[in-house]
Amino acid sequence: MPSRRAFLAGMMASGLCPTSGWADLGAPCYLSAARNPDGQFALYGLSDVGELLFQLPLPDRGHAAAAHPFRAEAVGFARRPGRFAIVLDCRTGERLATLNAPAGRHFYGHGAFSADGKILLTTENDYEAGEGRISLWDAANGYTRLGSFPSGGVGPHDMRLMPNGETLVIANGGIETHPDSGRTKLNIPVMQPNLTYLDLQGRVLEVVELDRALHKNSIRHLSVRKDGLVAFAMQWQGSLSEHPPLLGLHRRGQKPVLAQSKPDQHAQTMGYAGSVAFSEDGTRVAFTSPRGGVLHVFDADTGAFLRDHTLEDVCGLAHGPGGFSATSGTGQIVHVTQDTVRTQATWEFQWDNHLIPVQNGYV
Amino acid sequence: MRECLKLIALLILLPIGLVAGEHDARIRAVLDHHILPGFQHLSEEAEDLSNSAAQCSTDKEGVKAAYHDAFDAWIQVSHLRFGPSETGDRAFALAYWPDSKGFTPKTLTSLLNSADPIVQDPEAFSTLSIAGRGFYALEFLLYDERLSMLGDPAYRCALIAAIAGDIDANVAAIRNDWETGYAASLSQPGGDSPYRSEAEAAQELFKALLTGLEFTAETRLGRPLGTFDRPRPRRAEVWRSERSLSHVRLSLASLRDLAALLAEGYPSTAETLDRAFAKAIDRADTLDDPIFAGVVDPKGRIKVEALQQQVNNIRALAESDLGPRLGVAAGFNSLDGD
Repeated sequence: MPSRRAFLAGMMASGLCPTSGWADLGAPCYLSAARNPDGQFALYGLSDVGELLFQLPLPDRGHAAAAHPFRAEAVGFARRPGRFAIVLDCRTGERLATLNAPAGRHFYGHGAFSADGKILLTTENDYEAGEGRISLWDAANGYTRLGSFPSGGVGPHDMRLMPNGETLVIANGGIETHPDSGRTKLNIPVMQPNLTYLDLQGRVLEVVELDRALHKNSIRHLSVRKDGLVAFAMQWQGSLSEHPPLLGLHRRGQKPVLAQSKPDQHAQTMGYAGSVAFSEDGTRVAFTSPRGGVLHVFDADTGAFLRDHTLEDVCGLAHGPGGFSATSGTGQIVHVTQDTVRTQATWEFQWDNHLIPVQNGYV
Repeated sequence: MRECLKLIALLILLPIGLVAGEHDARIRAVLDHHILPGFQHLSEEAEDLSNSAAQCSTDKEGVKAAYHDAFDAWIQVSHLRFGPSETGDRAFALAYWPDSKGFTPKTLTSLLNSADPIVQDPEAFSTLSIAGRGFYALEFLLYDERLSMLGDPAYRCALIAAIAGDIDANVAAIRNDWETGYAASLSQPGGDSPYRSEAEAAQELFKALLTGLEFTAETRLGRPLGTFDRPRPRRAEVWRSERSLSHVRLSLASLRDLAALLAEGYPSTAETLDRAFAKAIDRADTLDDPIFAGVVDPKGRIKVEALQQQVNNIRALAESDLGPRLGVAAGFNSLDGD
């Protein structure tokens, strides 16, 4: 068995963990928000085997996070409909900046950096207009707000930078909400989710919509492979008696391929996918469903269902050693390989929805 | 000896009861005592409403009375948004609210101004935008200061009759679907049923309970509350006909029935939930603010907030205590929904 040091060095060489500004921190592989046993919330840096490398307090429940491409800076986003995002220096724990959503807006909990690390982009709800916006923040100058452009739909949630560094892909979930009515969905009968590609000036490059029969399938989370294949995970807003696919694969300029779980396995998801990721070698793609406590794995090229794994309250998902790393609301951090789910660590923290790779997530 | 035999009988029966058929009686009870009578009552009231609306020009008060009765009956089943209610967005055509962009008054204004002949053709009317149909549209025509006076009175009555007729047809279709197929689908999962298992069917009913509680807390109460700095009393549900608080009370009473039926066989869960409902209903009964106008002043506001908190308490209890009994996980992430 190789020594841990050699193993870690191997991981770094393979590009799973970053080597630049983040290396001083023991090269964290992942960021995840969590709730601590005392009810407080925090953002954590994790190694590939689930060791805690840093802990930074958050004022309220977080959701996802974004890691600066080379500086050891992380942005923790408030859970929807929160108004804050906090930029943290992961070496000192110092708060470098606080982003406040402009009047009439709230964040959705996701964001992305530009390839050069100069700009942070966030998904936002312009809730009086009921329209999605993407805001730009100057990461080179104290994260001042630079401006915004339309997201191309209602309810933009996850957003990723494509491997070309010039294109954004946005999951416009289609669901209108207003903070006065909490998280109540206001427009289910007319919701129209889409996958929108924008350039960094906000020009629309491509919009992908599913068939009308699937208009209640909210496109919510994304993962991008290095060749530009986009995986999108969905949350069904219709009856549980219907069983539409919860995963789609899209390549620019082509029709999306929908990936359907086997019927018995599908029924366990309660129509809800939480996170999506490609495997470390890019050949497989998986989504988690905390409501079913399951993780479904598919062939990344054909969309064929391969198998399911079970893990209570699993939600966070990213590429990891031998396949995937996943986290759960019961504190577990696991590796998911072809055949097994192996617990790496169990903490007393409840890991929140998403496990964010520190190194740009392309595999 | 008899006790001993009872125990043996129980031991033999118990495992079967816990595996196949664990939720069978529960689902049937919800159908027989909640869903089917609820839609039967609604369809009778909707028929009355349609008949009254046909007399609109001579008996406006009669139409109003029938509107209140039918709307009451709808609120009692409005949380059952799956299956027959969802087909063709029927529930939304009965109840398009909240209407954050004001589509309902816009659609009605345009119909009234142009005296659109669509009101003479029920089939064409059933394809009209859902914002111009249903109970909330009817309220504007009967109670809104401007719309209840706009356009030609005879046309306005024809529009009221068209909306009432459309409500009646829509409700009849929902009731018919329940009685001629969907009730069987829900109670006999597997095979041709869209539900693959009893658990899935029970979860659908549990989801309806949660959706109803969420709608009452976050929308019926949350919208008028707005924020402390900016309360929004005019966003209260159907304030023009002074039904806002009444909807909260009707929905809580109906959801209490559903919760009791779902918790049948789990006495401590049933008791906890019923106590939480009793508290919320008691608060609603003593709240002297039929349209939540009081949200603008701190004293009145705190009472509406307290009621909202009580409804949220029921939600939390349903999620933590009842959900797991019905196979719905109550985890940190599984409850989050994002």
